[in-house]
Amino acid sequence: MLKIGSLEKKYPNGCHALKGVSFDVEKGEFLVIIGLSGSGKSTLLRCINRIHDPTSGVVEFNGKNITSIKGKELREARSKIGMIFQHFNLIPRRSVLVNVLTGKMAKLGLIKSILGLYSEEDKKEALEKIKIVGLEGKENVRADNLSGGQQQRVSIARALMQNPEVLLADEPVASLDPATSHSVMQYLEKINKEYGVTVICNLHFLSLVRQYATRVIALKNGEIVFQGGPKEINDTWFKEIYGEEAVEVTIN
Amino acid sequence: MNKTKKIDLVKAYLSDAFFWSYSLIVCHKVIYDKLILGTRYPVFSWTTTIITTFIGILIATILFNIKNFSVGKKIKNISEIENNNFPFYKFFSYFLFIITFVAGLKISQVSMDDLFSSSGASGAGKLFGAMLNPNFSIFEPALFATIETIFMAFIATVFAIPIAFLLSFFAARNLMSHNIFAKSAYVTTRFVLNITRSIEPLVWATILSVWVGIGPFAGMLALCLHSVASLAKLYSEQIEGINDGPIEAMTATGAHQIQIIWFGVVPQIVLPFLSFTIYRWDINVRMATVIGLVGGGGIGTLLMQYQGLAKWNEVGLIVLIIAIVVMIMDFASAKIREAIK
Ligand SMILES: Nc1ncnc2c1ncn2[C@@H]1O[C@H](COP(=O)(O)OP(=O)(O)OP(=O)(O)O)[C@@H](O)[C@H]1O
Ligand SMILES: [Mg+2]
Repeated sequence: MLKIGSLEKKYPNGCHALKGVSFDVEKGEFLVIIGLSGSGKSTLLRCINRIHDPTSGVVEFNGKNITSIKGKELREARSKIGMIFQHFNLIPRRSVLVNVLTGKMAKLGLIKSILGLYSEEDKKEALEKIKIVGLEGKENVRADNLSGGQQQRVSIARALMQNPEVLLADEPVASLDPATSHSVMQYLEKINKEYGVTVICNLHFLSLVRQYATRVIALKNGEIVFQGGPKEINDTWFKEIYGEEAVEVTIN
Repeated sequence: MNKTKKIDLVKAYLSDAFFWSYSLIVCHKVIYDKLILGTRYPVFSWTTTIITTFIGILIATILFNIKNFSVGKKIKNISEIENNNFPFYKFFSYFLFIITFVAGLKISQVSMDDLFSSSGASGAGKLFGAMLNPNFSIFEPALFATIETIFMAFIATVFAIPIAFLLSFFAARNLMSHNIFAKSAYVTTRFVLNITRSIEPLVWATILSVWVGIGPFAGMLALCLHSVASLAKLYSEQIEGINDGPIEAMTATGAHQIQIIWFGVVPQIVLPFLSFTIYRWDINVRMATVIGLVGGGGIGTLLMQYQGLAKWNEVGLIVLIIAIVVMIMDFASAKIREAIK
């Protein structure tokens, strides 16, 4: 459903973050991207939903080239691609409900969304999504008053509100403790398995990768150095991806 | 050598040239002409100025490459091998400060004679005596004039808010860098705001009174104009400092640019905006008083009238009222700002 072809990204400051990355993603996959800090993982995800514009190369989504679409067409494409972030990126001082409703922005009229005139159906749908991530009862709490794990679940609910076909997750558990990390990963797994949303996720801990990924891509200096199943990452590959000195740390 | 280093070196050289020319001109005009020759109003001549400037540039050029001689290099943090024996740049900086200080004294005509002359002191004594004995019979007109001033400041602030709010988005670098149109809008807005802000409200009031006639309206417009410029600057700096996360998240949902700003930016800035705005009202009350002095209406104008008639007891009352109002405004605005933090 997603085809990435020789994607290049050079930042205006000259940093060459992606050097010809190509891969395909099938519907229903739980694809995990690993690699050292600075290897280009975040850049890759942001090129897929065009938060960053790739310098060259192609991003094809459901058979449609979305590399250089603009305006309404781009917003339309983005609305089908959910995204969650390491720091949750919720809207401060707004309730959980409003935060989840912002997932529907692309479908709401400008004026209506700004005046906060959400339809009853939208509210009902938002409440359902809040329930999916196990936060029922919290809908009127201010989002910035929740714990990190809860905030990440709100952001998952917000992404679900888009009814996305793909969910991009940029280190979704990097600022959470081990127990909370697993809980959040399990929600992502549930969304992947039960709701059939394709997930592309950046991760740092190989133990999490082995547990949740159906396929792994490793980036190094902006290039793909490994593609395969999570079980295939043995010691040799590990040293290839993370460098000779690296030692694996685990998260339980 | 990379580009920024080269630019830094050029800047260092230009600073040096400026410092040397400046010190020579000041030495010549103030120290030599005024102090030594004792000319009261030295004539200005382009020839001598240009010649001194050239000599300054020449000296800067000669000394630029001598270690520890260049102040410009120190300012731009261009490292040189430290030569502890003779840090000339330090002496030169002290020298620059001292000549500026001496020139400042001379130009502002600081005179101990005037300050402590017996006739002056007795005049001041009479004046302060009268002011300490305020005349309460004009309390009512003074109070009304004060209310006029506060309302003028209030209206100026209220009108300034929406305009400044809109402009601040155009003046925020982080929102205006996605294409060339946005960038040029940013540069233009910033430029106009800076110019507007650099002209004092008092000057704006004089300019505007020619247009709309002398009175509170001109004063209000002047305050409003200045408030727009300063609020927009404060607002836009606040916008530049926000967390980009929510913006990114809103972009990723496929939201429209306006929705991105409404949800990604606005919730992060309302409270600081409110706080700046209240503070601005507070400033405007004080400025409105000053503008009144040039005929902008309100308590300032009243003060000017009584001062012109040398009625010091009345002036005393007005000064008292102004002090009380400013204190109350200060206190109230601090409290409100604390409460909404
Ligand atoms: N906005 C930007 N402007 C310029 N360079 C950037 C920008 N964002 C990232 N880079 C550079 O691009 C390279 C790849 O960064 P990226 O954030 O994609 O790495 P990452 O794999 O996500 O790392 P991490 O694990 O630390 O998040 C880095 O060298 C980084 O310095
Ligand atoms: Mg990253």
